[in-house]
Amino acid sequence: MKKVIAAVLAVVVLTMGTIALIRGRNTPEPVTSTYFLMDTVLTIKTTGGDAAAINDHLHELALQVDAMTSYYEAGSETTHLNASAGTGPIPVSDEYANLLRTALSVELTGGEKTFDICISPVSSLWGFTTKEFRVPSPGEIASVLPYSQPDQLVVSGTSAALKDPRARIDLGGIAKGYSLDVMEAYLRTVSPQPSQVIVDFGGNLLLYSAGRKTDWKVGIRDPRGDGIIGYVVSGDAFVATSGDYQRYFEKDGTRYCHIIDPSTGYPARLNQSATVITSLDAMHGAMGDALGKVFFCSDAAHQQELYAETSKQGVVGVVLVDAGGARSTLGPITLVSTGDQ
Amino acid sequence: MKRSDRITAVVLAVAVGVVMILAFLVHRAQGVTALVRVDGATIKTLDLTSTSPQTMTVQGVLGPVEIATDGKGSVRVTHATCPDQVCVHTQPAHSPGEQIICVPNHLIIVIEGNRSDIDALAQ
Repeated sequence: MKKVIAAVLAVVVLTMGTIALIRGRNTPEPVTSTYFLMDTVLTIKTTGGDAAAINDHLHELALQVDAMTSYYEAGSETTHLNASAGTGPIPVSDEYANLLRTALSVELTGGEKTFDICISPVSSLWGFTTKEFRVPSPGEIASVLPYSQPDQLVVSGTSAALKDPRARIDLGGIAKGYSLDVMEAYLRTVSPQPSQVIVDFGGNLLLYSAGRKTDWKVGIRDPRGDGIIGYVVSGDAFVATSGDYQRYFEKDGTRYCHIIDPSTGYPARLNQSATVITSLDAMHGAMGDALGKVFFCSDAAHQQELYAETSKQGVVGVVLVDAGGARSTLGPITLVSTGDQ
Repeated sequence: MKRSDRITAVVLAVAVGVVMILAFLVHRAQGVTALVRVDGATIKTLDLTSTSPQTMTVQGVLGPVEIATDGKGSVRVTHATCPDQVCVHTQPAHSPGEQIICVPNHLIIVIEGNRSDIDALAQ
């Protein structure tokens, strides 16, 4: 009988020990912070290091990018450049010129279905800047489209110009991704190093572990149903998603999403979502953010050409859901279905 | 093998079984909750494992926001006065890590729970 009691006691002790071990293994606890800016949400989850201070500093960096790029804030470089449209080059900061050049380089990559930071006059016609949505007439679009093309912007050294007095730039399609570039550069230098940082900035993710983690599981949102369509496994990366399922309006049964195809002036209709994964290198957050829109506006054949070209510049992989709901991937990534979702 | 050894073995096996069943039940009971936050402060905690649907109106920065659970583990925003309706367009959320966001109202609904299959959500 003594033996039996001893055995039961041993099992109990072992079990409790195991539970304590499992619980204890996950320390330190992550610190999650949420901020509202750039008309979206910034969520930062940091594990290890001086987590709360890191989160606050990353938010501060995003505020600085917003102050530089904002379309609305008086005093931003974007506001100055827009106010000078049609009057010749104005001086801009090194940092701003560099960001504009990154935008222009994606525009050159895109071909016809290009990224276009000059599209805002057309977006305004559709009400996406004021949120008073309407469907403009073909005539209205045709009259605005010529001065909403990417060639309106000319960057030379640290000066920039908008050719037409009615041209306007809006960096909303690249500023969030660029903020992640600035954050990543800071995270590399911070001491003590956090073990993991996940930043989610309005559809743009930064996954940072200083290379320690090679198996991030990134869920891909189902553009029509709830939950996810599956996940992809990635090392440290930027992950930018463009979709038609959050920012859109409906009129007479048709969905009009906020991403305008610059070749037509109409909301893009070929895809439900495009997710672009880029490596953690300089300006790749901005590049991925901008390229997401290009993939989103493109058909399957053009997407393959785009991937062939951009995979040499740091695009690791792309996950696509086309207008019919068909899923596909480009590059050495696999979309793992989770079944129950 | 002595008779007492056999009893020991049986009791051990039963004890291990009981502990495993208990651990499973405890794990399952740690439910999924939805935290409703306005400007970072949690103003409501909803139990998504509850089988009775629930509708409530909370005050956002801009105005009232109506939130409903369906009694099957999901929560969604059913009505809001924000101009873009992004929160209303967002599909029901049910898995830990999912979020529903209303920027104009500074409102965010976060799903929390032990089980999370993914590290981050691309959306």
